[in-house]
Amino acid sequence: MSGLSAPIEISGLSKVFRQTTSGQSIVAIDQLTLRIDPGELVAIVGKTGCGKSTLFDLLIGLEHPTAGSITIGTKTPYDDFNAFRGKIATIFQQDRLFPWRSALDNVKLPLELIGIAEDVQQERAMSWLKRLGLEKFANAYPRELSGGMRQRVAIARAFAVQPEILLADESFSALDEVTANELRKTFVELAREFKSTAILITHQLEEAMAVGDRIVVFGKSATLLADIRMMDWDRADYPLLREGIQNTLQANAPDPRLRR
Amino acid sequence: MISSLPRETIISIVLFAVVWQIMSYLAPSLGIPAFAIPGLGRIAESLTKITPLDVAVTLGRVLLSLVVSFVIGLLVAVLMYLSGSVEKYLRPMVRILMAVPVVSWILFAVLWFKGVEFRIVFVLVVVCAPVFTVDALDNMREVSRDLKQMIRSFRPTPLQFFHKLMLPAITPGIITSWKITLSLAIRVVTIAELVGAVTGIGHQLSVAQELFSVADVFAWTLVLVILLFLLEALLVQLETRVLRWRA
Repeated sequence: MSGLSAPIEISGLSKVFRQTTSGQSIVAIDQLTLRIDPGELVAIVGKTGCGKSTLFDLLIGLEHPTAGSITIGTKTPYDDFNAFRGKIATIFQQDRLFPWRSALDNVKLPLELIGIAEDVQQERAMSWLKRLGLEKFANAYPRELSGGMRQRVAIARAFAVQPEILLADESFSALDEVTANELRKTFVELAREFKSTAILITHQLEEAMAVGDRIVVFGKSATLLADIRMMDWDRADYPLLREGIQNTLQANAPDPRLRR
Repeated sequence: MISSLPRETIISIVLFAVVWQIMSYLAPSLGIPAFAIPGLGRIAESLTKITPLDVAVTLGRVLLSLVVSFVIGLLVAVLMYLSGSVEKYLRPMVRILMAVPVVSWILFAVLWFKGVEFRIVFVLVVVCAPVFTVDALDNMREVSRDLKQMIRSFRPTPLQFFHKLMLPAITPGIITSWKITLSLAIRVVTIAELVGAVTGIGHQLSVAQELFSVADVFAWTLVLVILLFLLEALLVQLETRVLRWRA
């Protein structure tokens, strides 16, 4: 797989929702500008309700911005929706497997949607289940699997299409710590191996630091409070970095210690 | 099949038969004509005279009409699901269709159409299709938003969206709909066949009524009930097979 050739350019992005009952406007994202380069592994961290999930929906292409744009090359994921078929994959907080499909058939789903030959679907889906240690459960229905196993199937489903862009929304936060750590590791390994541009959205700072090569800190309405490249920090400085991000999140203002 | 019935069911059927037989004996002394409550022996005799062709014809009419009703009902539900405006216009019509009594539909059918077969299918479809529409639409609305978002993130075509997500997701509801409409259709077809049909269980019931043969009416009714139970048992088997993922 070649990976994404163009960066994701988020420019002056705003999203305003109008409440149907009160008629009030809620600014979920306010003038966000951000560039994500091909192959980057970015963790976006912020408090609940800061607009992270709205950004996720815009990146998937399920929402249109109120102002500004997201462009990937010359296209936008919402206006040129079908142009990204097979190029964007998602992993959600809940596994979102089809309960009527076996683990294998769930992994095959995106391959069916992009029209890959049946024998290739079977082979590729099976190899992904093997890779995630689930080959013995290929024919099991989701109800027969544990939460961690179901999330593994969801990861296999996302990687099966060999996506250029991988979007993960709180994908490990519903799991127990041991399983979550294991799956975070798998996620990072696979994203690196396949050179996918991966964006993990999370409210957990520890998770962001464990996964991201780059940590983007959002304040209210997705205001960009900090944009930190982990390579600029020595591992010995991580406690300081953690404290700096925590202060930033708490005060909703950039901590001066994060400037490098 | 009898061995699979619960003990209580068998006892209640036997009890009913015993009470019927006693009433049959007592009828003349109570001033009720003997033909009004025939004995079990007379009913059994009528059962041996059941003509399989009439049973097959009624079954064929029911199944054909249900398939046509299902296709129309589902298509209308899909249209209503896809477009809010279409739903606003069609929903009152569907509600009106459902409120019209079956007898009125039969009268309309007799006044509007010449062909007997068409009349029967028309009545069955106009009664059953709205049930399929309302159930399918409700079931489509209840499909998890999370699953819709997940599949849409993979950018399916509209056809794939319905084929891969909506249809399997509403299958349990569709099977329930079939159970409801099957029982409805069996009852409606009998009334529809009473008017003008020269074959079918309804027609045979009409003949039995003209001959004042309660035993024949009982026998044909029994056949209808058994037919319904058999079809329901088949549906349950299909349900177990198709919905094994729920187990």
